[in-house]
Amino acid sequence: MQLTSETLEAAIEQLAKLPGVGRKSAQRLAMFLVKQPEEPVLRLAQSLIALKRTIRSCSVCHTITDGETCPICANPKRANGMVCVVEEPKDVYAIEKTGEFKGRYHVLGGVISPLENIGPEDIRVKELLARIHGDEGITELILALNPDAEGEATTYYLHKLVSPLGVTLTRIAHGIPMGAELEYIDEATLSKALAGRRGF
Amino acid sequence: MFCRRTELDRFRNHRDSVMEWVPGVNLLSGPNGAGKTNLVDAIHYLCMSRSFVAASDQFVAMHGAGQFALSGVFGGAIRADFSLSCTWVRGEGKTFFVNGSPLDRLTDLIGRVPVVVLSPEDRALTGEGPEYRRSFIDGLISQTSAAYLADLVEYRRVLRQRNRLLMQAALQHRPPAPELDAWNDLFARSAARIVAKRNAVLDTFRRLLAEEYAFMAGVGHEPDFTYRTNASDEPAENLARLEAGRDRERERGQTLIGPHRDDLLFTLDGIELRRYGSQGQHRLFAFALKLAQRRYFTDILEDQPIFLLDDVFGDLDPGKTRTLLEMLDAQSGQTFITAANPDPLTSVLDFTGNHRHFRVAHAV
Repeated sequence: MQLTSETLEAAIEQLAKLPGVGRKSAQRLAMFLVKQPEEPVLRLAQSLIALKRTIRSCSVCHTITDGETCPICANPKRANGMVCVVEEPKDVYAIEKTGEFKGRYHVLGGVISPLENIGPEDIRVKELLARIHGDEGITELILALNPDAEGEATTYYLHKLVSPLGVTLTRIAHGIPMGAELEYIDEATLSKALAGRRGF
Repeated sequence: MFCRRTELDRFRNHRDSVMEWVPGVNLLSGPNGAGKTNLVDAIHYLCMSRSFVAASDQFVAMHGAGQFALSGVFGGAIRADFSLSCTWVRGEGKTFFVNGSPLDRLTDLIGRVPVVVLSPEDRALTGEGPEYRRSFIDGLISQTSAAYLADLVEYRRVLRQRNRLLMQAALQHRPPAPELDAWNDLFARSAARIVAKRNAVLDTFRRLLAEEYAFMAGVGHEPDFTYRTNASDEPAENLARLEAGRDRERERGQTLIGPHRDDLLFTLDGIELRRYGSQGQHRLFAFALKLAQRRYFTDILEDQPIFLLDDVFGDLDPGKTRTLLEMLDAQSGQTFITAANPDPLTSVLDFTGNHRHFRVAHAV
């Protein structure tokens, strides 16, 4: 195959690195951008640059934000003593969408996984402890990590670490998704839900 | 459950084979190397997501082919027909489809169509290392309990994570990282769930094994087994044992307590089969184990599993062949039998009605 434009080829190569984008899709995206007027393409380019230049992690909870602290941490109404511990910024988005949680967050930035050489010192455990000892008035930690082996081990690790500090520790319930019919739930989820059943 | 039809595309030595099966006994005869076993293996692959013959998917694809595909139509006593299909592409792996919709996880496939297979490789079950017996127990339980399969997947993951911490510490001559405690707790609970389930199922299985051995070998023998585990069904007890074995574990850099080291000790009339059993006793024991597995599935699922008997009748005397075929004839389950020489079977069973005899000359 004869390349007719190295510039195009370079763009395809970059686009193909994005998650979920294969070489074919990258080609289509690049061709689309070539055909577009200059204005929207520049806007896209600028927004991408801004992603790296402007976005930073919140100095308190470490979710992604534009300023020094994120709007959640900056909002005095949300300093209610509750902190929800999550793995990634996307989990903050997921819980925020519920509109039910009125406290603050703490983004660990990963979970403990020896196979990937990730220990407690590689995720934001120190920062969490500093917040508990600090002047935020934290009274309850809600652990909302994924229910896989690594999430469970991290939950247990934090539980051991934080229990002596006089903070209430809770974890989100596992079970049946809303709107799902019992007969279609996979057995493994259902048996976890049975094991974690609650009284009225 | 039964399989009505299978299509093989570049699967082992079959370039493009389509088979229509009967719900009774399907006998496949033909010369060695014709591809009888591969037709049966295709059914196993669709039910269990792996071959019972080839160790790796690399060798499942036809020689020189970069991909293969399988599809089958299955039905059961209490459910409507559905299709299972699978595609494998070198470098990309395999995807399974139920009625055309892709499955997110391979574990969602297991148990949809329970299957019991007896092949010459099952000599290892009574004669070789404990890994074969653990794999038998797991096949027995996970096809009837998705919760057990999920527990098993989790247990293996936790075990690998824990071993990694221990190995790193051993290599660097230092104590393991403090987060080992978190993994210990998870490990102790996970191991306890596995042991509890194995205990419960094996208790039921013991009676079935005795009955099936008597069916094959006649009464007057006492087949039995001891379930050997160094773990407990109590998480606290597992934690205590981890603690007690701490130094040895650190020295070796791996987890020494847990159901990944379980074994079954088979005995016949109180004598250890692996050491003292004759060839014939090994054979009958393997038969009885698989027949008992079939009974276990039938009792739990209220439907017969698919039974695959690959090249195992050559070793059986005419009386036992007759007993077995008459039992299969009297029951409703679907069976697949491969045999180089069909005569001992066709002389007992009529293959013109509910049963069918396929002569496999060569794969197409």
